[in-house]
Amino acid sequence: MTPLLSIQELQVGFRMGKLPPVQAVRGISFDIDAHSTVALVGESGSGKSVTAMSIVDLLPDNAERRGRILYGGRDLTQAGAAEMRALRGREIACVFQDPMSSLNPVLPVGLQLCEPLRLHLKMSPRQARERAEALLAEVGMPEPKRRLDAYAHELSGGQQQRVMIAMALACEPKLLIADEPTTALDVTIQRQILELLAALKARHRMSLLFISHDLGVVGEIADRVVVMRHGQVREQGAVAQIFTAPQDAYTRALLACRPGLSGPPPARLRVIDEFLAGDDLAPQPPRAAKDPRSPVLLEVRALAKSFWLRQGLFGKREFKAVRGVSFRLRRGHTLGVVGESGSGKTTLGLTLLRLLEPSGGEVHLDGRDLLETGPLALRRRLQIVFQNPYASLNPRFSIGQTLVEPMAIHGIGAHRAEREQRARELLAKVGLDGSAFAKYPHEFSGGQRQRVAIARCLTLQPEVLVLDEAVSALDVSVQAQVLNLLRDLQDELGLAYVFISHDLGVVRFISDEVLVMKDGEVVEQADAAQILSAPTQDYTRRLLAAVPRGWRAPLTP
Amino acid sequence: MLRAYTAAPMAAYILRRLWQMVPTLLGVVLLVFVLFKFFGGDPAEILGGLNASPEQIASIRQQLGLDQPWWMQLWIFIQQILSFDWGRSWATNEPVAQLFATRLPATLTVMLPILVLDTLLAIPIAIFVATVRGSLTDRVIMIVTTVALSISFLVYIIVGQYLFGFQLGWFPVQGWSDSLWTNLTVYAPLPVLLALLVGLAPQTRLYRSFFLDEIGQDYVRTARAKGLGEGIILWRHVLRNALIPILTNIGLALPGIFVGSFLIEVFFSIPGLGREVLLAVNRSDYPVIQAVTIYVAVLTMAINLLTDLLYKWVDPRVVLK
Amino acid sequence: MSAVLERSEGVWHAAWRRFRGDRLGMVCSGVVAAFLLMIAASALGWVAGDWQREIGVSSAPPGFVGPRAVESSIATAVPRGPNADLSDVDPLAPRYKEWDERAAQFRSVEIHKLQTLPLGADRLGRDVLAKAVKGTEISVFVGLMAALVATFIGTLLGALSGFFGGRAGDLLEWLYNVFTSIPGILLIFAFAAVFGRGIGTVVLILGLTGWTGIYRLVRAEFIKHAVRDYVRAAQAIGASAMSRMFRHILPNVSHVVLVQLSILTVGFIKAEVILSYLGLGVPVDQVSWGTMLAEAQSELLLGHWWQLAAATLFMATFVTAFSLMTDALRDALDPKLRGLE
Repeated sequence: MTPLLSIQELQVGFRMGKLPPVQAVRGISFDIDAHSTVALVGESGSGKSVTAMSIVDLLPDNAERRGRILYGGRDLTQAGAAEMRALRGREIACVFQDPMSSLNPVLPVGLQLCEPLRLHLKMSPRQARERAEALLAEVGMPEPKRRLDAYAHELSGGQQQRVMIAMALACEPKLLIADEPTTALDVTIQRQILELLAALKARHRMSLLFISHDLGVVGEIADRVVVMRHGQVREQGAVAQIFTAPQDAYTRALLACRPGLSGPPPARLRVIDEFLAGDDLAPQPPRAAKDPRSPVLLEVRALAKSFWLRQGLFGKREFKAVRGVSFRLRRGHTLGVVGESGSGKTTLGLTLLRLLEPSGGEVHLDGRDLLETGPLALRRRLQIVFQNPYASLNPRFSIGQTLVEPMAIHGIGAHRAEREQRARELLAKVGLDGSAFAKYPHEFSGGQRQRVAIARCLTLQPEVLVLDEAVSALDVSVQAQVLNLLRDLQDELGLAYVFISHDLGVVRFISDEVLVMKDGEVVEQADAAQILSAPTQDYTRRLLAAVPRGWRAPLTP
Repeated sequence: MLRAYTAAPMAAYILRRLWQMVPTLLGVVLLVFVLFKFFGGDPAEILGGLNASPEQIASIRQQLGLDQPWWMQLWIFIQQILSFDWGRSWATNEPVAQLFATRLPATLTVMLPILVLDTLLAIPIAIFVATVRGSLTDRVIMIVTTVALSISFLVYIIVGQYLFGFQLGWFPVQGWSDSLWTNLTVYAPLPVLLALLVGLAPQTRLYRSFFLDEIGQDYVRTARAKGLGEGIILWRHVLRNALIPILTNIGLALPGIFVGSFLIEVFFSIPGLGREVLLAVNRSDYPVIQAVTIYVAVLTMAINLLTDLLYKWVDPRVVLK
Repeated sequence: MSAVLERSEGVWHAAWRRFRGDRLGMVCSGVVAAFLLMIAASALGWVAGDWQREIGVSSAPPGFVGPRAVESSIATAVPRGPNADLSDVDPLAPRYKEWDERAAQFRSVEIHKLQTLPLGADRLGRDVLAKAVKGTEISVFVGLMAALVATFIGTLLGALSGFFGGRAGDLLEWLYNVFTSIPGILLIFAFAAVFGRGIGTVVLILGLTGWTGIYRLVRAEFIKHAVRDYVRAAQAIGASAMSRMFRHILPNVSHVVLVQLSILTVGFIKAEVILSYLGLGVPVDQVSWGTMLAEAQSELLLGHWWQLAAATLFMATFVTAFSLMTDALRDALDPKLRGLE
């Protein structure tokens, strides 16, 4: 049976002015059958998005395509502009990653929904509106009639994505291309959208090209998987085969490097490069237990933070971001803080460091009340690593300047040469070359920048480190490296961590105790092993159930 | 779209804005007062003229209340403003209020057509330039507009007046009449034409950048993914979004039309407000300058409020706080 | 030990490299540099120092046009032939000879007025080329100085307002509102009426009225950067507010300020031209492009176009080159800063 879409030897390059063109895709081939879901998996820079966009020719002006894309008996790379326009939205439709910016902010959502209906199916305005309402109902939007006149910013992230899906479905396309559609969403919403996509695909009998970096998600939804790296296909095959018997070393590495939710957490996560070199084949030993009688370092009681928003003519409204959080952190241990967006976990981290002034509660470090301590002394004992590695280093400072500055402020080291020496030692400790000292942040990757951020914290020899989604923006392989580094540093220096994240797998790997937050409150608080295997609260159970587990063999009846 | 306006929050917003205008207005009054009192010449001497005797100057000073402490003078000043008594021009002894009434229409007769035509022309031109972006035409247009911008407005007027008025005789070189119709059809066209010519270059560049910013947004990619043609995308999707900065731009330009283009009024002998202010500056006619400054400031604040209200109509994301 | 620091490519170095590759930008920088040299030479008095000397005949045409045909300007015919002898009735007759001898002792300088000059002469016979050069110096100097004043004020106030917000921000916003409630030209007129003419005053007037644009921009940038992670991180390691504002944020904003400075310079040059034209700018004993244009208007009616052409040509060339150079500068500075997003 001929496939619905066949990509053969596709190459895509980008012209960059006078420089030689950058090859994003170097000769890939795969097929998409009718009524099937094909997943394109890869890390950032693998070329998966570029491949998808080149199917419908939505690439930027400086892109050059070579190869063939066969669809319905013709080669799409040779099709003219008018032909492609007739195809887009009608037979091949797209759903993009960030729904907020993908919808026109000044036009009502209903109007945007009606556009493909009126353009391709030639419906009258009234017919189009009725159909739009039906589509919204189908994608699970509450109160569809009212929502037709809503604007994009009035809807939540999940609802916006449902609108995008409805727009894509409008003309009953044969192929739906979904480019990381759930990456920007919370994990429970992600679950809903994935189930919606699966149901729609079955009901409308269309094919789905699903692009993601998350193997867990891919395993649940795909029939076939295509693994990409650096613009090439490393492996492709049926999903069962990819998950149970991967042939390619990179695929195996990707599968192994994810911090999973089952079994005891290992001492170290596997790293892709070690895998590919064939080093790391032995199963990891489970982590050694931490000393439960370690002295309590940080004690927090009923910590609260409120923001005041203007309301009405002269009034103010209180928004409680953090309400009464209490915990104890022992030396050398890690407290994991889990929650979805809006749970207040980031605010908690910032408040602990007094980057935001607390509205109530007490914080004691080693017996001393932190709220009484002077700011400089506080900074030496508590430090923070932020989420976005591209924004947490000053782009105009060299790495050396970034590392020396905190030492200069606090008077560590007698003179400049001594500080620079210390900085180089710290660079080595986080696994970076000494030559990084004189370089600028833009020359480094995300993972390397996070290491510099960690080194910057270490210059002050803190006792507690707050990690605010520190690995969330990194690729799986880089994430594993940074997590291993954090573990090693904790063992060596006896640091205590407050690890804030939305990713349960990562939190499980690194934490001893876990705090689950929702709407500023602590929903559940217990040992890491216990919370993840036997949660007592409903919300925690929902959170755990929503995490994509990858492919699981169907149970034999 | 009218749903965007609901009664109670709108009234609250307008009230709050009016309330916020008061300190700004006070600031303007203070600025004008301080500027003229502490940096300007002695009004008594200016009014008295070159040949006045000390006794005459002293008596003028007493008439104007200049022998009082400065805060008293400030209070008198504020009272005058609130009671719409702007005094008389020191040069012509004409009541300043009458000056406004007679000069403003002339200014508006020239400036309003300029503003309207400018905006109407700039949008299609900007869309055209945005459509050909990146091509050779685009580069050429950008260089031509840069050169056009580098030549002073003065040169355009001097040459234009010489060429079209003097040499070719298509328009009268100068003049004004009492009839609105004659003004619009005979005397206004040349200045309007010249002002449009000069204004076209910077407006085109500005609006082009607005359009290009919007074309690069994600929602344009979505529109293309739906199969819409470039034309519809530009007119229905991009234009609506680009209207927001365009509206800002017009809102900023609007207060300027009341002073008018004084250059145009000077060159073409149009008895407008701009020329009047220029004459006042040359003659050190303080009451006129002070009055015009303060009342144009009030107008500007009113226009700002109007523009902000208009924003809500154009951009549904705006929350009037 | 402390090894030699390998110099890595900073942001400015990368921008310079990109700028070098833009041919149009480099050509325009060359033109601007040539003008600046000319201005320096003029300021030091090496060229055009004697622009006030009336060395040509009134409104002499430029060299390439050729001298004007000498017209007979005397209405009545001059009688030829020797004067009638009136020595017998002339009471002063005996003294003539004595006076002639006395006069012969004084040396009189024969000023030979040139019929043509390279770019022509103005109504008083002054060299238009010299005036154009001197005018360039004055106009560009005023524009640049005023832009520096406005940029300094706007950047300082914008930084304080954007970073601190709160009461200080509200106060500065109030100041901004006061200044922008009055249309620019009106404000300039008000200041001009009070301060009078003069180069220093023009610089002051333009600078004090023109800072609002940069203030708005710098304030927006500081608000944007103050919540960025790298500033939070600086706060986390204990950097002071001043340090965060001027050591951390300002270098990340400097490219915006630089481009605005160039745009302001062009705007102020054009403003100065108009002010001088109206008689509110440079004093009478100075020349600028504006004063040249003021004279040119009446000359044009007589068909003497060279002063207008000279002023326009110099001004157009410089401003176009400067503007294109600014565009190239902005393009060179832009891409790298995207890495921050």
